[in-house]
Amino acid sequence: MHQPARNQQSIYAPRPCRLLSVTELTPNEKLFRLQLCDKTELQHQPGQFVQISIPGLTEAPISVASSPTRKGYFELGIRKAGQLTSALHRLQAGAQIGIRGPFGRPFQLDALDGKALLLIAGGCGLAPLRSLIQYCQDRSDEFASVQIFYGARSPEDLMFQQDLSDWQSSHNFSCRYTVDNKPATSCFDGETGLITNLMNDIQVEAENCCAVIVGPPPMYHPVIASLRQLGLNKPKQIMLSLERQMRCGVGKCGHCSIEHLTCCCDGPIFWLEEVEHLRGAL
Amino acid sequence: MLKQLSRSDLEQLLEAVAKNYALQVPQLLADGTRQLGPYDNAELSLSGQPLQRKPTSYFFPQTELLLTLDAAGNVQQPPPAEKPLALFGMDRTDLAALTFLDQFFMAPPADDIYLHRRLNALLIGLTGDAGPDSSFLPLADDGCDIELIAINQKWLALGHSEAGKSLLRKFNDGDDKQLVTLRKASRDQPSDLLQQASQLLHDDLVPDAFWEEIADRCILCSGCNLACPTCSCFCLQDRQTPNGTERSRVWDSCQLDAFMREASGHNPLGTEALRTRRRIHHKLVADVERWGELGCVACGRCDRACPTGIGMFAVAEEMVERFGLRS
Amino acid sequence: MTATLTTCPYCGTGCNFYLKADKTGRVTGVEPAGKHPTSRGQLCIKGWNAHAFVDHPERLTTPQIRQRGQLNAAGWETALDLVHEKLQGIAEKYGPDSLMFLSSAKVSNEENYLLMKLARAGFGTNNIDHCARLCHSSTVTGLVETLGSGAMTNSLSCFDETELIFVIGSNTTEQHPLIGSRILQAVQRGAKLIVADSRRIRLAKQADLHLRQQNGSDVALLNGMMRQILQDGLEDREFIASRTEGFSALEQSLDPFTPEHVSKITGLMPNQIVDAARLFGKTDKAMIVYAMGITQHSHGVDNVRAVSNLALLTGNLGRPGTGVNPLRGQNNVQGACDMGALPDVYSGYQKVADPVVREKFSKAWGCNLPESPGLMSTHAIEAAVEGKIRGMLILGENPMLSDANQAQVKQALENLDFLAVIDIFPTETAQLADVILPAACYAERDGTFTSTERRVQHGRKAVDPPGEAQADWQIVCQLLQRCGLQSDYADPAEIMTEIASLTPSYGGIAYDRLSDNGLQWPCPTSDHPGTPILHQDQCTRGKGLFSPVDYRPPKELPDADYPLLLNTGRSYFHWHTGSMTRRSHLLDREERSAFVEINPEDAKKYGFVERQQIRISSRRGSISCAAQLTGKVPVGQIFIPFHFAEGAANALTNNALDPESGIPEFKVCAVRIEPC
Ligand SMILES: Cc1cc2nc3c(=O)[nH]c(=O)nc-3n(C[C@H](O)[C@H](O)[C@H](O)COP(=O)(O)OP(=O)(O)OC[C@H]3O[C@@H](n4cnc5c(N)ncnc54)[C@H](O)[C@@H]3O)c2cc1C
Ligand code: SF4
Ligand code: SF4
Ligand code: SF4
Repeated sequence: MHQPARNQQSIYAPRPCRLLSVTELTPNEKLFRLQLCDKTELQHQPGQFVQISIPGLTEAPISVASSPTRKGYFELGIRKAGQLTSALHRLQAGAQIGIRGPFGRPFQLDALDGKALLLIAGGCGLAPLRSLIQYCQDRSDEFASVQIFYGARSPEDLMFQQDLSDWQSSHNFSCRYTVDNKPATSCFDGETGLITNLMNDIQVEAENCCAVIVGPPPMYHPVIASLRQLGLNKPKQIMLSLERQMRCGVGKCGHCSIEHLTCCCDGPIFWLEEVEHLRGAL
Repeated sequence: MLKQLSRSDLEQLLEAVAKNYALQVPQLLADGTRQLGPYDNAELSLSGQPLQRKPTSYFFPQTELLLTLDAAGNVQQPPPAEKPLALFGMDRTDLAALTFLDQFFMAPPADDIYLHRRLNALLIGLTGDAGPDSSFLPLADDGCDIELIAINQKWLALGHSEAGKSLLRKFNDGDDKQLVTLRKASRDQPSDLLQQASQLLHDDLVPDAFWEEIADRCILCSGCNLACPTCSCFCLQDRQTPNGTERSRVWDSCQLDAFMREASGHNPLGTEALRTRRRIHHKLVADVERWGELGCVACGRCDRACPTGIGMFAVAEEMVERFGLRS
Repeated sequence: MTATLTTCPYCGTGCNFYLKADKTGRVTGVEPAGKHPTSRGQLCIKGWNAHAFVDHPERLTTPQIRQRGQLNAAGWETALDLVHEKLQGIAEKYGPDSLMFLSSAKVSNEENYLLMKLARAGFGTNNIDHCARLCHSSTVTGLVETLGSGAMTNSLSCFDETELIFVIGSNTTEQHPLIGSRILQAVQRGAKLIVADSRRIRLAKQADLHLRQQNGSDVALLNGMMRQILQDGLEDREFIASRTEGFSALEQSLDPFTPEHVSKITGLMPNQIVDAARLFGKTDKAMIVYAMGITQHSHGVDNVRAVSNLALLTGNLGRPGTGVNPLRGQNNVQGACDMGALPDVYSGYQKVADPVVREKFSKAWGCNLPESPGLMSTHAIEAAVEGKIRGMLILGENPMLSDANQAQVKQALENLDFLAVIDIFPTETAQLADVILPAACYAERDGTFTSTERRVQHGRKAVDPPGEAQADWQIVCQLLQRCGLQSDYADPAEIMTEIASLTPSYGGIAYDRLSDNGLQWPCPTSDHPGTPILHQDQCTRGKGLFSPVDYRPPKELPDADYPLLLNTGRSYFHWHTGSMTRRSHLLDREERSAFVEINPEDAKKYGFVERQQIRISSRRGSISCAAQLTGKVPVGQIFIPFHFAEGAANALTNNALDPESGIPEFKVCAVRIEPC
């Protein structure tokens, strides 16, 4: 049996970090800005996630919603979904929580270099994608163009509204969003309909194009079909994020496995061709 | 290194091991099963039924404290054990299971909680005439520090590791020819049932209806997983105590609905048929893909633990019987 | 690491397992007993997790006394003195029958015996009962009348040789999982299976016939089957002639139950009744298995009689692979009844009204004993509301969640002058107590438990109780001592010696005889091997009695205001009021909160979607819980498990009682549902 270094912290030990600010994004989602208590950088890459630890409620995996190019803090956009996330929503700036990570395979930035990007998010999926979008904003000369598509259930579910309008005006960027349903009383004047509607009429040079999809499970099939229509048929053209229940984040607990892969280590970001043939992946 | 031990040599060896290790030895329990238990209060049971409790549970127990968090968020790790463990009495399948589990938990990032028990632990395998009514158990030939091979009321002792060899040094040499014969006898593998089943699944020749049928007979007891020495899934449990929050890991089972159920209610393994398929597929196909070998070491525990007769062998047999001809 | 062989604390199946404990005295896991005749190396999910609640931080660790509305920690002596003084005071002022004692199907035989001794000898009242009132009181009343013994007639091993199993009102794979699995195995080897249950339970998928009769129409179904059996000449003439009495009365009573008539009552097709009758009637060895679906009705005793009639009619009694098999819910509900934690009998069902029996106990215990039978627990609740019961001692029960009509139970308990509760967790009931005494749980004390097949077996101590908690038998002994009664038992084995000396059916039970696989009572003498099958040559009462019954509808059926039928029961992952299972991580995770099963068609009608919180109201109360859309329940019926305090099914249920057994009608009441 080989000797591992025994002086290290346990892989299960959370690190303390402080809540710098909490901003309401939607009635169900808040943006948490955090900093490690030792003031070091998280040193994540876009697409990676952390395990948030709250004593008494164990942990939940949450993607980092800010780009590593923005220093001094990291951000998490969190939906109130159950016990732990509800407890988080009750916290205020100044509170301390634990995190482990960053974990997981990030967006494959190398492969995106020089490409025209289609960044597609549904619902809560905009949070992880935001880290990539911010990254693209900060390194805009590395990409040919960036087109963002975002779908939410209703106008009030639209996350990061300030960012959305920022992105629309960024160099090299276009950004369109849509809502599934608009209540009659809403003054929302944006587009309605499924996210795939946004993609019907776009012009792309398929050869030099790379798409990234992050969204709820039912979104994948129709979006992938639309991308195929647009001519994205080669390997390494479509990247997506697969989220599963994760208890450990380090490939041990077994909850996030899809056949022989674990989403927390082999993913959450995969190339489509790595997973499309696996049962229950999409 | 090959040695030969008499019964009193064996006692001497165990005595020596017990000095530096928390030695666990096979013993016969009140209900007629054999299990490992502390050396001091036990009469040895040197042959008989396979060990009821999977010995891997010493390194990956059903409930295990990972750490304690105090109110300020400080992390306290459980104190290390006083003495490393020594396990005596594992057969070939048990040792293979532990090797599999080692590989799993050591894959980077290595699981320090597992390692702190596993590191420096000493394994003494027990094979040869050590089965039920002293029937023959095939040799392991690896996966342990010392292998004791029972033959004619004596034990051939093979030292595999340095620690094992040095413990054996003072005993008499054994007969190599005897070992050759025993090795030959061990080569007669029972059947390749699992390989065939694995192939069928890999080639997608087992229809979904089959899994529904099997799943209808599952009562969700989780025994197949909990009894299995290569199962490694766990969930986390927090408990608030006066000393802080104790975070432990607890054996989990992929046969349970909430194993993958998400907060939204979405469940990628949302039916019993899917979960039943996963249990078999994981060991017979996914593990082969990931680790290059079957995740089932054919120990038979899940077949014994399953109240409705749908353990690994039962399912593999049914699968091969019904769909085997087509391949 | 230690491994202690013990009996599962959950259901009445009686599986055995090893409790694993580490050096620090913490239980860490469970390993099924490999060669035990019941568990055979197997357990259900609850058994595999039976260690999990034992060292839960919320365990009660010190006695508590209510002072100015607050519960405060107190010493044992003070707390026990207070309990004794208060109960004694009430008995002196208002008479002993103003006290009520509730015993528990979770504690050992010895502890049940001591508590009934405390009530009868210590405080002079027969007011003692326990939760069997809510589960199998109908069985005891019914089967004692027809067969002479209320127990399961056969053994679990009989499932391995029977040819047909008729399951009526038992979700066996979820509630007695290791009996359910035997049924599944029996089907695999070719046995026939008839399931009569309005819900599409797991067994139904494997059944040759699944009869989804209306809840509460079982008498009609069973009578209809018997009429058809007679029509086809499939009855066992020889058995009827030699082993039974009252046949002609039965024959006459069945006349009106034609398939068409039964069809109208049960909602089944006439041919389903005929098919079931023929399948059952043509089989030589058939077992009838039932549970709460039969007993928990305002006509529960009649249901039991009908079941018994069917077995007698077809000669399915007294042989391997046959029998009337009521499955006991709790691990020691059989034992608690055997020990006389009932208002009308001492241990071994010896009647308190019988002067000879009374004399025997009075001599053994050295005191006078009350003559008239006491109150049933359900009636005691009513009496407490009326102010007739003023003091209560509850040992290991949580009636706040387990009794029908929660509002009334709360009123009753709050109305008491004094309430003492002995428990392991701060339950909803304990919250109302004046004194709480912390008890050791199953893993922390020795004792015997009697499983559904009458198997008396050991529960063994694996670890020490938390804090100052004490074993129930030790607690009760200290109260006995304060009552001036003999109480210096060295250990539970010594209590069993006393039980054996006073209880004919347990006469041969002694600790040193139980170590292997226990003994099945009746075991009258120290050399008797135990009795796997009852009523072999003759019934306990002599001849088996046919007891004709007529169909009576449930007390409250759906109507215009409350249009749906509410069915209640347990789920697989939780145990009763959840005090243990909701504190067991894995079990809690599987089902974290209250839910209601509703047929998708009904859900559509009301516009409900999966997981939506909905409000359910009956004439007695109103709760909310999450909708679970499933074809398991038929259209027009909803099902709610009663484990969850925050969506307590028993806030809704009807406390209409069976006139003979006092069991409430948990299985039928009328409700309406609406969005939250
Ligand atoms: C890689 C990854 C990234 C994620 N990123 C985000 C994010 O940026 N923002 C966000 O709002 N949510 C994100 N989620 C989902 C988030 O983890 C769950 O909503 C959260 O775990 C719910 O926990 P809870 O305790 O509040 O819910 P409960 O229902 O009380 O807890 C159930 C348990 O199941 C697990 N669980 C439940 N739902 C999920 C789920 N959807 N995914 C994984 N585990 C689950 C949790 O670990 C929790 O312990 C992400 C999930 C994954 C896997
Ligand atoms: S036989 Fe069963 S228990 Fe043993 S390794 Fe294979 S799957 Fe696991
Ligand atoms: S042991 Fe059998 S019944 Fe239990 S979960 Fe596994 S397959 Fe299902
Ligand atoms: S079937 Fe009953 S006795 Fe057996 S493990 Fe399950 S709950 Fe315990």
